[in-house]
Amino acid sequence: MLKLFLTPDFFFSILRISAPILFATLGAVVGEKAGVSNIGLEGTMMVAALFGSLSTYWSGSWVVGLLVALIFGVLVSMLMGFFAFNLKTDIILTGVAVNMIGSGGTLFLVKVITNITEGKPLASTTSLITKKLQIPAVEIPLIKDIPILGDILSGHCLLTYVAFILVFVTWVLLYKTPLGLNIRSVGENPNAASSVGVSVLRIKYIAIGFSGLMAGFGGAFMSMYYAMGWSLDMVAGRGFIALAAQAMGAGEPFGSMLAVLVFGFAQAAGIKISSVGIDSNLVSPIPYVVTILGLVIFALVVRRRVKRQHSSAALKATE
Amino acid sequence: MKKFLALALAVIMALTLIACGEKPAPTPDPDPAPEGNVYNVVYLVNGNLGDKSFFDSAQAGLDTLKAAGRIKLNTIEMGGLDQDQPKWLSTLYEVSESGEYDFVICGTYQMPDKLKEVATKYPDQKYIIFDDNTYVGENENVLNLTYRQNDLGYVVGTFAGLMTTDTNVANINEEAVLGFVGGVDSPVINDFLVGYITGAKAVNENIKVDVRYTNDYVDTAKAKEYGLSMINDNKCDIIWGVAGNAGNGAAEAALETGKAWFIGVDSDQELTFGADLAALTLTSGLKNIGNSLIWFFDELDAGRTYWGTEVSLGLKEGGVGIVKDKNFAKYASEATVAAVAAAEQAVLDGSVVVPTAIGEGAVDINALRDSVKVAG
Repeated sequence: MLKLFLTPDFFFSILRISAPILFATLGAVVGEKAGVSNIGLEGTMMVAALFGSLSTYWSGSWVVGLLVALIFGVLVSMLMGFFAFNLKTDIILTGVAVNMIGSGGTLFLVKVITNITEGKPLASTTSLITKKLQIPAVEIPLIKDIPILGDILSGHCLLTYVAFILVFVTWVLLYKTPLGLNIRSVGENPNAASSVGVSVLRIKYIAIGFSGLMAGFGGAFMSMYYAMGWSLDMVAGRGFIALAAQAMGAGEPFGSMLAVLVFGFAQAAGIKISSVGIDSNLVSPIPYVVTILGLVIFALVVRRRVKRQHSSAALKATE
Repeated sequence: MKKFLALALAVIMALTLIACGEKPAPTPDPDPAPEGNVYNVVYLVNGNLGDKSFFDSAQAGLDTLKAAGRIKLNTIEMGGLDQDQPKWLSTLYEVSESGEYDFVICGTYQMPDKLKEVATKYPDQKYIIFDDNTYVGENENVLNLTYRQNDLGYVVGTFAGLMTTDTNVANINEEAVLGFVGGVDSPVINDFLVGYITGAKAVNENIKVDVRYTNDYVDTAKAKEYGLSMINDNKCDIIWGVAGNAGNGAAEAALETGKAWFIGVDSDQELTFGADLAALTLTSGLKNIGNSLIWFFDELDAGRTYWGTEVSLGLKEGGVGIVKDKNFAKYASEATVAAVAAAEQAVLDGSVVVPTAIGEGAVDINALRDSVKVAG
């Protein structure tokens, strides 16, 4: 059994499974830091995935497709921001609406668009994408020659590396830049931030735009590398798992990355376990069980910390 | 501003009235005479056309009938999402209430409850539901069309069982291990599987079948992970994907590893895939909903009706079948082609009765799966 897990391709698959969720999680982290709950990550990923794959096909280049996916990710989230911040709709409901657009709306769009461009309405873009058009996998020069580590770390999709680099970038953005300070202050106390001259609206737009950008990366990963082309509901809940990972990681970039890796590990383990003939119905809930366990542990830790703070505060008060 | 608003509202109201007024009067077609008649048919799609599967297949069959001048057709796409579901029932009521149509056609496992309710209220309206048999015989005005996917699985299994040891073909390894990526562990999906395993075992006693379920029909990436695991861990060289869109993930796994082949389902996937995936799709198991509807109208014109019963269509009626041109013709050896033809013949003349996973007399699916389990 242990031999099953101690293989390079098992660890390789953890990183592959984690990457799209990690993108969306970073989006959730930055949004939540600015006090913006972006429930619409799932739908944003779907829209980005669709337009990314379509424009890859039209342009014959994944670079163009990726850029278009990012642009659409930002556009969708900006639209969401416009409704939530300017028109004062409830952001959760707006997010739900975006998710519906991501599901039924994308199907409608793909049929209308392909009817015009291809002459027949297609319900997925799988037939348009070939291997050449997918985002390429990259071998990392020196690392790929290290025995086991090379097999695990090298040969991933370009975007997988981007995802993990972005964890660091996000951390720098949040904690080492003036913009990050503004984002955090807007999230903590918008009135205080506004009283010292920070434009709360502008910061919120930047935060939701960033989370849209991340969803754009995630969508591009899904339709331009993980699967070939876009198909209905293909993101399959990864945008929601990202929200859970954000909560499990206490809203911090590195903590959330760990939460995503735990989830990726659980799913990869489920797939490995089912390879020895154990019913895949038994193993498919594993990622969700792990998520719930993670949330419980996280809640217990927080509660203990809060209790300790309370009791030390009480001690100080009696002194 | 107020004036403008009032004007705009008035215009909208006027338009609505016009729209109501222009609704076409129901075509009078009071009593359909038996022969040479043009039937008025409405096809309710509880999803969307373009699925390259059931809905498109039914539409294709109906289009053929329409082109031959045998029916007048109205297709209504009701949408397949959760929020579309309330529309399904109300559309059923609408078309039944209108009385315009000789036959109302719908399908899939999601419709029987709604159909039963409506069919009970409109006993004079005739309904056809394909690929479902939940309430067979409860309404005298409903015909259930089902498909012997176990027969289909048997033929596909025979083919795959022979191909997996034919090492003359590229990417085929020596291990006799097949893969099966199913959607949900449900009777219809398992009916495919039962046939598949039975067919494969009939040609190779020691065959192993790696069975995984994605538990949905949309997560292509998850199906790809299962496919990769089948190929890398268990040396599967042929995978049959029976999981809607998600099943394509198994084909993508085969493409990425370059070590396996894929078999499609429901429609000829070699035609619907892009070039890369089509090149590694050996064949597809077809469920010809369209043929079954043509069969129904043939029978009707011949004076035979089956209202209130279930008609199960197999190889004989063209309800199911396997693609035999393109890659099948290119890669299958003569012996394999002959064996597949023999398997079809055996099912047709009844010398082989393929077990089923549906209804009474269903096989023990767990025992069957265990009998071909890949050793851990």
